[in-house]
Amino acid sequence: MTTISLSDEPRHQASSSLAMKLKNPALLLLPAVAFLSFIYLLPLLDLIRISISGPSWLTYFQRVFAVPLYWESLVRTMQISVTVAFLCLLFGYPTALLIHRTRGITHALIATAIVLPYFIAILIRTYAWMVLLGRNGPVNKFLVSIGILSEPVQLLFHRGTVLLGMTAVLLPLMVLTIYSSVSRLDPALTRAGLASGAGPLAIFWRVLLPLTLPGIGAGFLLVFVAAIGFFITPTLLGGPGDQMFAMHITQQADSVTSEGFLQALGVVLLLITLAVVAVAGRFLGLEFIWGGRKLTETAVTHVAPVAVSGTPSRSFGSKFADMIGWPLLRLFGMLPASCGTWTVRLMGGLVVAVLILPIIVVMIISFSSASYLTFPPPGFSLRWYEQFFSDSNWMRAFWTSALIATVSAIIAVGLGTCAALGIVRGNVRGKSAIMLLLVSPIIVPPVVLGLSLYTLFLKFDLVGSVFGLAAAHAIGGLPIVVVILSAALQGVDSRLEQAASVHGASSLTVLRLVTLPAIAPGLAAATFFAFLHSFDELVLTLFLSSAQLKTLPLMLWGDINYRLNPVLAVVSTLEVLLVVGGLFLARPVLATSQKAT
Amino acid sequence: MAEPLALRVGDSAAGVPASQSGGASERQVIGSRIAVRDAEKRYGQFHAVNRINLDIEPGEFITLLGPSGSGKTTLLNLLAGFQSLDGGEILVDGRPVHNVPTHKRGFGMVFQSYALFPNMTVTQNVAFPLRMAGVDRATTERRVAETLEIMRLSDHANKSPSEMSGGQQQRVAIARAIVMRPKVVLMDEPLSALDRRLRESIQIEIRDLHQTIGSTILFVTHDQGEALTMSDRIAVLDAGRIVQIGRPLDIYRHPSNRFVASFVGESNLIEAEIMQKRGTTVTLKNRAGYVFDAESRDAIDVGRVTVLVRPERIAIANEPTASSTPVIVTSAIFLGEILRIEAQMEGGDTLLIRCTDTARRPLPDIGDRLHVSWGPEDCWVLT
Repeated sequence: MTTISLSDEPRHQASSSLAMKLKNPALLLLPAVAFLSFIYLLPLLDLIRISISGPSWLTYFQRVFAVPLYWESLVRTMQISVTVAFLCLLFGYPTALLIHRTRGITHALIATAIVLPYFIAILIRTYAWMVLLGRNGPVNKFLVSIGILSEPVQLLFHRGTVLLGMTAVLLPLMVLTIYSSVSRLDPALTRAGLASGAGPLAIFWRVLLPLTLPGIGAGFLLVFVAAIGFFITPTLLGGPGDQMFAMHITQQADSVTSEGFLQALGVVLLLITLAVVAVAGRFLGLEFIWGGRKLTETAVTHVAPVAVSGTPSRSFGSKFADMIGWPLLRLFGMLPASCGTWTVRLMGGLVVAVLILPIIVVMIISFSSASYLTFPPPGFSLRWYEQFFSDSNWMRAFWTSALIATVSAIIAVGLGTCAALGIVRGNVRGKSAIMLLLVSPIIVPPVVLGLSLYTLFLKFDLVGSVFGLAAAHAIGGLPIVVVILSAALQGVDSRLEQAASVHGASSLTVLRLVTLPAIAPGLAAATFFAFLHSFDELVLTLFLSSAQLKTLPLMLWGDINYRLNPVLAVVSTLEVLLVVGGLFLARPVLATSQKAT
Repeated sequence: MAEPLALRVGDSAAGVPASQSGGASERQVIGSRIAVRDAEKRYGQFHAVNRINLDIEPGEFITLLGPSGSGKTTLLNLLAGFQSLDGGEILVDGRPVHNVPTHKRGFGMVFQSYALFPNMTVTQNVAFPLRMAGVDRATTERRVAETLEIMRLSDHANKSPSEMSGGQQQRVAIARAIVMRPKVVLMDEPLSALDRRLRESIQIEIRDLHQTIGSTILFVTHDQGEALTMSDRIAVLDAGRIVQIGRPLDIYRHPSNRFVASFVGESNLIEAEIMQKRGTTVTLKNRAGYVFDAESRDAIDVGRVTVLVRPERIAIANEPTASSTPVIVTSAIFLGEILRIEAQMEGGDTLLIRCTDTARRPLPDIGDRLHVSWGPEDCWVLT
């Protein structure tokens, strides 16, 4: 026993001399921190500085709240975001339960149906909905064929499609967050509930729901925060009455006249996001951002008040529970046991269909022989693939994207690997604050980040440069790398490293021979996802690119806005294949990192 | 200690079944009679439960004993209703239960992982079945307090499960399982997560509790010592079948086959040839040429048989006697109150011997020659 408890200590106390200090793995955090400070924190601070640089610091903000256009849009953004978060929760929770309850091949298929869309570009998934709901799309065709509609109607461009599209795009985030909390439950708890005479609904209400409340909270807030900053989906699916706040920022960015006011818009969006995250972090622990484990104590204390039975004081709550709650739960216990199962299956099945069908429709359309978008296609051909591969504009954009994504992945993986080593193996105060800094780009609305970077890029003449874009994309790639590799590193037994150094290996040799091989699969996955992140990135690119430097998403964006042709379906299909291939390679890693986080 | 639980059965408002007897006898039996008929459960080609028949008397403490994969937990899950039968039926008090969902069966259950609801206090956990049954709050509070007192948990009533030790958590789980005074309590390896001392004390606690509440208890374990200590009867399972069912003493002394003989207790299985049979006594000769008598109830009177000799039934001496055979000691361990000796017979068979530690007998050295013997009543002929 003593040897084990001692073995962890020397590493923490060894940093006395300067030489030892230089060997402290915590130093590995420096490059990533410096990188983010310069290209992420500094611009955000500058954004705030400009926003208060008016005649009085309040000037620009007063305008934001005085002009009804912006004020109403802010309210609308909140409404849409809350609605989307609720819809995601309503459909996401049963789906997470469904994944948890299925086994074997069904489990793998459903999980893939959720994870796959999670990694496909938002732009492409939104495009798929435009195809699906278009005048010649399958939904219109189906409704006409069964006689509900006499002729195709405009299903796009109103509030309903915005909600549908955003919910569909954000559902995987919700499902995966809730699933990570559901999958930690002891399956015997459900059985214990049944054996205690509780029906499925009572178990859900009294046991599952209270215990997964932290997961629900985390999922809800992550979706909400993402929705506030949404820009692509509402722009493409919404009508004139569905302007979201982030859209104003991009529109204003085109007219250069509004410096200061523009930044104030961004700051408002940023502050709302940060406020929501801060409140959420107060209850859930900020670890929820990167899916880390919350402290169980907090989870318990927050959940305890929900269960009111047996409290000695007969409060209103317990009376209510006696009169209404328990009898109601008992009443639902009369329902056949299969009711719960079927609800879960139906809602989960619906979610899987909503996530997968658009992708399949787009893949089929890419092989269409028609010259316009229509489903089902009149015939099949490879003409659109030929057009894509022979069009020099598309090919140039493709190679530009590939180049930028490669450079970006190298930056993100280089900095992220060092940072992960520093976080996991280093001994430094304020670890969680540093982790928070490293992963915080996930929650900052991309529109705000793009706006703040634009000023910086102008100053250093980086607009439209490959390296500049790659670095900007690496801001978002870095958190992905850090989260995946921290999980992978935590999975490596640090005693292996100690065993190697006891037997004479230097720190670098240990890293080369023990640590890196152990995290190699994680490293591969992290590289892939960092590449993919940059390859798919659109919002920052909109701000920071130039007419000469067109990436693939930028080309897509331009074409979606002007002509909706099947070449876009080809690009989408290729992207899906890329993601499928990557996920297939990364599968073993995802399984282990799921357990580790 | 509170007055016996069973005396209060009558005042239950939730239709908890009262006992059949008048309460005059010293132990009330409220348990159900359970009949398992040709029960089958398959996973593809694999028969987890293979046409099992089992009759359990009301109020009986029956243990399902077997190695992992023998089907004992599957059988328990079938009884609980967590899984459905592929064939056969299960009757509780004469009524088939296959259409009754778990939460309507009214059983109590204790799980290996305790399965306490972490979002509820001890009191709330124990009150949960009562609340689901619609027992009013005053009765609930009284019944919970009684049950906690019986399980010696009154001081922990407002703790959360995570603040308690494993043994305490398991007692809460037991309290939750018995608070409704169910006719049937199912226990799925409830003690396997506890350390040995705690396990032994809770074993006795559960035994006593069974006497008090009079429920039928089905207890699943892979620990033969636990099964012997606690049960009225033991059903030994192997590969989805019940290979033997009987009182602990019968199972131990008269196992029906090699599997039971080696799974329950330590055993020497000696191959021998029948030389002669007179009445119930057979004369046998083993490979080493050692000739000994054994009692046999079987009709077999010729051929090879396997003879079970329990290690504690072997007598050892330093000098040869008329009925002894020499062995060479290969290992000797002092275990406290007993000595555990392994010795090799002529012909290569290894014998395990356990004898109590006495001042007369020093611990033998490896290589020592001893003389062992056993009487006809110490052997059991397996077929």
